[in-house]
Amino acid sequence: MSSLNDLAELVISGNYNGAKELTQRLIDNGTEPLEIINQGLMAGMNVVGVRFKAGDMFVPEVMMSAKAMSTGIELVKPLIADRDMPSAGTVLIGTVKGDLHDIGKKLVVMMMESAGFKVIDLGVDISPEAFVEAVKEHKPQAIGMSALLTTTMLSMRDTIEALEEEGLRDSVKIVIGGAPISQSFAEEIGADGYAPDAAAATDLCKKLIA
Amino acid sequence: MKKIRSNSIEQTTPLLRWVSEGQIEEIHFATLEVLERTGVKVDHPEALQLLKDAGCIVNENRVRIPSWLVEECIRLAPSKIVVANRKGNRVMPLEKNRTYFGTGSDLPYTIDLETGKRRRSTKNDVELACRVMDYLPNYDFVMSYAIASDTSSKVSDLHQLEAMVSNTIKPMIVTAHDEINMRAQLEMAALVVGGKEELRKNPFLILYSEPISPLVHTNDGVGKMFASFEYGVPVVYTPGILSGATTPVTKAGTIVLMNAEALAGVVMAQLKQKGAPIIIGGGATPMDMRTTATLYGSPETMMNYAIMTQLSQFYGIPNFTEAGCVNSPVPDAQAGMEAGNGILMAQLMGANLVHDVGYLEGGKTGSLTFLTMCNDFMDNARYMGRGTRIDEETMAVDVIDEVGPGGNYVSHEHTFKHFREEVWTPKQFNRSFWEIWEEQGSKSMEDNAEELAKEIVANHTSEPLNETIRQGLNEIIAETDKAKATSRRKK
Ligand code: B12
Repeated sequence: MSSLNDLAELVISGNYNGAKELTQRLIDNGTEPLEIINQGLMAGMNVVGVRFKAGDMFVPEVMMSAKAMSTGIELVKPLIADRDMPSAGTVLIGTVKGDLHDIGKKLVVMMMESAGFKVIDLGVDISPEAFVEAVKEHKPQAIGMSALLTTTMLSMRDTIEALEEEGLRDSVKIVIGGAPISQSFAEEIGADGYAPDAAAATDLCKKLIA
Repeated sequence: MKKIRSNSIEQTTPLLRWVSEGQIEEIHFATLEVLERTGVKVDHPEALQLLKDAGCIVNENRVRIPSWLVEECIRLAPSKIVVANRKGNRVMPLEKNRTYFGTGSDLPYTIDLETGKRRRSTKNDVELACRVMDYLPNYDFVMSYAIASDTSSKVSDLHQLEAMVSNTIKPMIVTAHDEINMRAQLEMAALVVGGKEELRKNPFLILYSEPISPLVHTNDGVGKMFASFEYGVPVVYTPGILSGATTPVTKAGTIVLMNAEALAGVVMAQLKQKGAPIIIGGGATPMDMRTTATLYGSPETMMNYAIMTQLSQFYGIPNFTEAGCVNSPVPDAQAGMEAGNGILMAQLMGANLVHDVGYLEGGKTGSLTFLTMCNDFMDNARYMGRGTRIDEETMAVDVIDEVGPGGNYVSHEHTFKHFREEVWTPKQFNRSFWEIWEEQGSKSMEDNAEELAKEIVANHTSEPLNETIRQGLNEIIAETDKAKATSRRKK
């Protein structure tokens, strides 16, 4: 039991080599794979999330913790049947058409992944048609759209309309973000939510998908 | 006859150097190494061909640029670029150690001067900002400040240019959505000054285009630059980065990477056209590791700009930096410190084009009050930049003797003659004694700035454009809008 706590601690401190070794040792000892994830790796990451929000941890530290968590998960994954793999849900994300800003979006991706979401990052300059195709292919629970330009934010509305035309709108939650985006804009275009930063984006998706 | 002192060196303005010449060379060599070893990605077919023909190692879009070519192109780039105002007066020679201030472009939000509420920016905000900067003497050039988000988004950049030329005669730096819109803006600019020949002789606008860090040169970014050179219009080709996200977190690593991106731009520019007027530098902002905000007003940025200015002086290529842009969301004490620091540093280093003055909230919010306030900050920095005059007249030994022990200087001719130069007089700072300050309404500097801004908006208009030109501008905007609508439907 205490080694599961140790594993959580290794995740919190971002020690990915240590996390890898300990995960392997726990597997070899016959520890239940789901226990390793839930009480070790994810437990550590949950603490990281709380500390980040409180301002006690910084972005690069969160990134290192996420890396420690995922190196552990990689080892455990083959031992668990796909449908038993704990996942907060699948989120499809991209920067909208005409827009090349992706730093914020990448942070959102990493933060969501570290909270246990499976995230499919489509990249930048993603047209409404491409979002629609990707929804058909990956069947996500949520879509995230990022726009940093006033000139490209309207493409979010086009995407929502395209999803409606294809009858896919009700199958997904839609969250949006980026510098010129606001709650009122989200309401105006019929998105399900807006978040001002990566931590809030993750919370929002948890709330919407739960 | 004036008495001569031998071995005398006069330093008329202060001398600020952040690092040594040797350290600048070190950064230069590291930059050459990046260009030769890692290289850059170029998505513009013509530029790619030019680089290949000039001897670069090209692998699909990846271009490794040999050091000799970089150094040759640095020599070809002009060390002096003269920018005129709308009336053809050559008011802004960009040469070593000459500093010019102006604001930045495209702020999505504005704190409304009347209501004090933050709302989405409109074309009218661009117009008002330009009128305010047209009036305030320390703004040497303008950018759009706000986004004309109430206009057709396909041509909002053209609307911004229209708003700018209609409300100020000062030189301007523009942004453009893509090459098509840049060409439309160049046509608009030619129309304003009476033809392409006039524009080429005395360009009054500069394009601001960007590579994308790390090390990517886009089709649009390079295309806009090349189009401008065809019209003889200078180009700022510089990256906007986030240290710790798109560049190394270390200051030196940030500078090396940004320098590599800017110099790759210099190479493409000179291969396109010998002597092409290109300006280097960029926005060297770190990412706040707690909030992910872009740190415009931070000490790191100012330290980076000091070194980047030295680098540009080492190359003999004019540069573009920023100051007076802050992370505080409102024009408060924090904003004053952030803005003041940067502006003073830029002035003392002798940076050329210092933009983004008057940005709040890390480049997302504008306020005419803050824009106005910054005029005093720049005035203060320029005052210090002028240095301390030391000569017989100012050392005043004769006057000291005349007044003698126990006398006073307040009614002396010498005081009368020199006080205006020797004691700086701000317009918006509070310096009254408490009781008098109270009597006059207990106003903060922010109140004073707001009042001045309102006064300018109510009373100042710039020299108007003639009606035919205005019509012509609107025609170009309408045509571009229409052409883009059709091309979009074709998709
Ligand atoms: C870095 C930067 C660039 C870089 C981008 C590099 C890259 N790889 O992304 C470069 C230099 C390429 C660039 C180019 C341009 N830029 Co720019 N850029 C910026 C800058 C300085 C920082 C953006 C950033 O990365 N911030 C840091 C990240 C972490 O924050 P963020 O993106 O806001 O993301 C956070 C939240 O918004 C949220 N979030 C983000 N996405 C999502 C998605 C979802 C689903 C959710 C829920 C939340 C969420 O969470 C994130 C993490 O906390 C901003 C100014 C600013 N302060 O925002 C201007 C800014 C966005 N750019 C601007 C402009 C005008 C341009 C150009 C048009 C300029 C030009 N001259 O050509 C070009 C356009 C290129 C294009 N077609 O996209 C304007 C936009 C104005 C507007 N609203 O229209 C800004 C506001 C600056 C300004 N005032 O001029 N830019």
